[in-house]
Amino acid sequence: MKKALSLVLALCMIVALFTVGSTAAYADDDVTLTLWSIATESDSSHQAFIDAIAAFEAAHPGVKIEHVTTENEAYKTKIKAAMSSGEGLPDIFFTWGMGFLGEFVNAGRVYCVDNEYEAYKDELPVAMTGNVRYDGKMYGVPYTMSLITLYANMDLLAEVGYTEIPATYEDMMACCEALKAKGIIPFGVAGKEKWCLSEYVEPLVIKSVGGDKLRDMYNGAASWNDPGVVKAIEAFQGMVDNGYFDPSANALSNDEVKNNFIAGKTAFYQNGSWNNKDIGEKANFTVKAGTFPVLDDSIPLYSMIGGPNNTLAVTESSEHKDLAVAAAFELARFMSDADYKSGANLPCWAADPNAEVNDLIQAAADMASKAENMVLFGDNFLNADAANTYLDYIEMAWAGDVTPEEYVEGLDSDLG
Amino acid sequence: MYNNLSNKRSLNKTVIYIILILWALISIFPVYWMLTFSLKTNAEIFGENVAGLPREWVWENYKRAFNTGNMPRYFINSLIVAISTIVITLAASVMATYAITRLKWKGRKRMNSFFMLGLTIPIHASIVPLYTTLAKLKLLDTLWALIIPYSAFSLAMGILVCTGFMGDIPYDLDEAAMLDGCGTWGIFFRVIVPLMRPAVATVGIYTFLQCWNELMFANVFINSDKWRTLPVGVQSLSGQYTTDWGPIGAALSIATIPTLIFYIFMSKKIQDSFVAGAVKG
Amino acid sequence: MKKPLSYKLNIFLFLLPALLLFICVLIAPIIMSFVYSLTKWNGFTTPEFIGFKNYVELFTSKSINIFRALKNVFLLALLSCCIQLPFALWLALRLSRPIKGKSALLSIYFMPVLISTVVIGQLWLKIYNPDYGVLNVLLRSLGLDSWTRIWLGDKKTALAAAFVPVLWQYVGYHMLLMYAGIKGVPTDLIEAAMLDGATDSQISRYIIIPYIRPILRVSVIFAVTGSLKSFDLIYVLTNGGPSHATEVPSTLMISMLFLRNRYGMGSAIAVMLIVLCFVFALLINMLFKEEK
Repeated sequence: MKKALSLVLALCMIVALFTVGSTAAYADDDVTLTLWSIATESDSSHQAFIDAIAAFEAAHPGVKIEHVTTENEAYKTKIKAAMSSGEGLPDIFFTWGMGFLGEFVNAGRVYCVDNEYEAYKDELPVAMTGNVRYDGKMYGVPYTMSLITLYANMDLLAEVGYTEIPATYEDMMACCEALKAKGIIPFGVAGKEKWCLSEYVEPLVIKSVGGDKLRDMYNGAASWNDPGVVKAIEAFQGMVDNGYFDPSANALSNDEVKNNFIAGKTAFYQNGSWNNKDIGEKANFTVKAGTFPVLDDSIPLYSMIGGPNNTLAVTESSEHKDLAVAAAFELARFMSDADYKSGANLPCWAADPNAEVNDLIQAAADMASKAENMVLFGDNFLNADAANTYLDYIEMAWAGDVTPEEYVEGLDSDLG
Repeated sequence: MYNNLSNKRSLNKTVIYIILILWALISIFPVYWMLTFSLKTNAEIFGENVAGLPREWVWENYKRAFNTGNMPRYFINSLIVAISTIVITLAASVMATYAITRLKWKGRKRMNSFFMLGLTIPIHASIVPLYTTLAKLKLLDTLWALIIPYSAFSLAMGILVCTGFMGDIPYDLDEAAMLDGCGTWGIFFRVIVPLMRPAVATVGIYTFLQCWNELMFANVFINSDKWRTLPVGVQSLSGQYTTDWGPIGAALSIATIPTLIFYIFMSKKIQDSFVAGAVKG
Repeated sequence: MKKPLSYKLNIFLFLLPALLLFICVLIAPIIMSFVYSLTKWNGFTTPEFIGFKNYVELFTSKSINIFRALKNVFLLALLSCCIQLPFALWLALRLSRPIKGKSALLSIYFMPVLISTVVIGQLWLKIYNPDYGVLNVLLRSLGLDSWTRIWLGDKKTALAAAFVPVLWQYVGYHMLLMYAGIKGVPTDLIEAAMLDGATDSQISRYIIIPYIRPILRVSVIFAVTGSLKSFDLIYVLTNGGPSHATEVPSTLMISMLFLRNRYGMGSAIAVMLIVLCFVFALLINMLFKEEK
């Protein structure tokens, strides 16, 4: 009896195994495109992707898009493994601009969309395509852009007599001091996640040296050894030493920090504008979205960190490039609009001027339109190796392991 | 004098019991914690009520976890992968161990050391070469892409455990069987395999654990939703910058509870098979 | 006596499944890893052969600081052998004697092993949470406010705090392995010793422990190599931080492979780990043989 049972079990398994891996067949003239993205079901862009795909499939009968979603960190491993071997690549994939996409472009895995772009020029401004251009050629279709935003809990600020986000650096520090005296933590940050630290450091740097110079530093055209950078790191370490950051920061993840802000535990939270929807919907106090004041009066206030970033690109190995490129552009156009209207993020494509959007996304859009200069996040701008060295230095500055002078000298010698 | 000794003994016993129970509490806490946080709101999980029972029982979390993706399918996939891996690992390692420990030939020691190399390889190091190989064999995006690597990575441990157990089987048995007219295969199937039952349990559990919670391979080698395994399904519940822990806890519970039930149910059987093996040996 | 050809063929057939799996899935990638480790390669473009430069950089670079990572895993291996294994053996010996609630305890002790690393990691993150974590709350309620720490965020305590869950999780695993061995000890041996008036601890020491040597060897090898390549929990708990205080070779390797796109260097770390684990496995094997 037992033996018979195990035999049956074994047979079932064998049958199961041999059916494993057979793929469903479509009719001959049907085309299936594969799209990889990070829009998992809990991602704020998930529904927008589903709608965008449905709209594209409706407009192109016989074409199906298979959407494979993978969680952010795991996605990076997955796309790199596939890009590295060149096998099993999708037709269309989600990517970040500059450094991340750049390495795939250099490897010749990404299809250049210059020709197809002509048809969409009016809707997707050339200015928005800078982060997906390599040697002037365009390799991806951006759909949303993000800006580092300073979110403020106005109810807490009111307790120390502020009705607006402080407009000068001195006022900002005075506000922090007042908050601290009242037992309110001024800034929430995740010390565990280095990129979260950079969300505080980079605005300080750009507001001390200006956008053009910062871009040159990333490009290697200017030295980091600049009094402005030293001043910015001094300011950052001053804020750390004065206890303006959550004392538990080193134990917290970004999710916990954001939740702390939403729960009213910290007065400010500085992070990407992709948080607009979450914060806007969940916080039950008055939130304002603004930008950190300048350190140097000669620098315009709206020198912003961020830019067009979320991008769709087409692989060189795709068997249906025409369709894949068309899908990339049309999905991107749809996503740009949908994410904007849902309050998830800022559009790269010309937006509907009459669209009704929430206050936070409106504030972000205003900042974007006023921006005199916009420099992408350092860890996206630089290539992977340099980006991690750069983040290591930011962490060392945070931990007090380097002085501002050592910081700039280290970046100069190690980023080369 | 006698009384004193017995008092000391019972005191000793009490202390031992306290340690045993304390350790049991420490061991069981994660299950308790997971089950409670799967029924809480984010606010409770992130600080208001970390370790207590849920104040408001959010069954909604389970509903959301079940409706996200295709949990039952992921579960079946994980099960197929786990069972296949266990079967392949066991068959391959018992056979190899037999060749290494019971058959006499030059270089068997070296062969053993060669297999032991498998213990030393960090699973994550081989991901890129493996990906390329699996792609060439057209096995990517099938469950084989998980079963084969998992089996290979469990093999060294399987052989190691089997060597320990097989060494305990008296060689007289082989000789007796040989006199009865059994060949190499006859001895293997009639003498060795029946006596390897305790090892089967140990290797089975080890292999199961290796593959049930593995995330990185599962994530990279599988694309289609229909072949995804539980850890990937659970992982895909957490988004890029937003995390809602209640449903994730529910998904973790869904992934863990069957394992626990299976183990509690099996642990009795495992112990029985140990005893049976000991009596026969 | 010359062995017939069929005997050799049989040997080959018995080894075939294992060899096939082993060579295709483990050995071939190792060889590829070794080749990659001699190159400068970002994973996408053509690899550039640079000889042993990666190894030289690995052992001299101050920013990689491989020796800190090695020191950390050696410490973990030591703790594992000196605390985790003896405790597991103690539990296994206790549970192998008639005791109330034995099977329940056995099942419970094994539970941490069954639970996925993600859950275990999250649990301990919560336990260590400086504001509302169980540990600090407990210390505060005992009036030991000055003892509270940001356990995983403080360079001084992070390593110890990250090791505790790693050691804790696998006690049950080693216990079960040893328990299985103890159950295999012939009962007549123990009965005979008991008739001779041997105490429990004498039986454990002179009969059971020598008898389960093969299992103990397995446990030690597993504990040591497992420590050397430990990754999952440390990745979840600290990911090598704060300021690299809890870095282990595997976290360095992953960051080289998947964060920095330095496949050459990542492969060099992988090769180093493999060699290290293999040497230790051989050493432990020899140690156990010599004592015999």
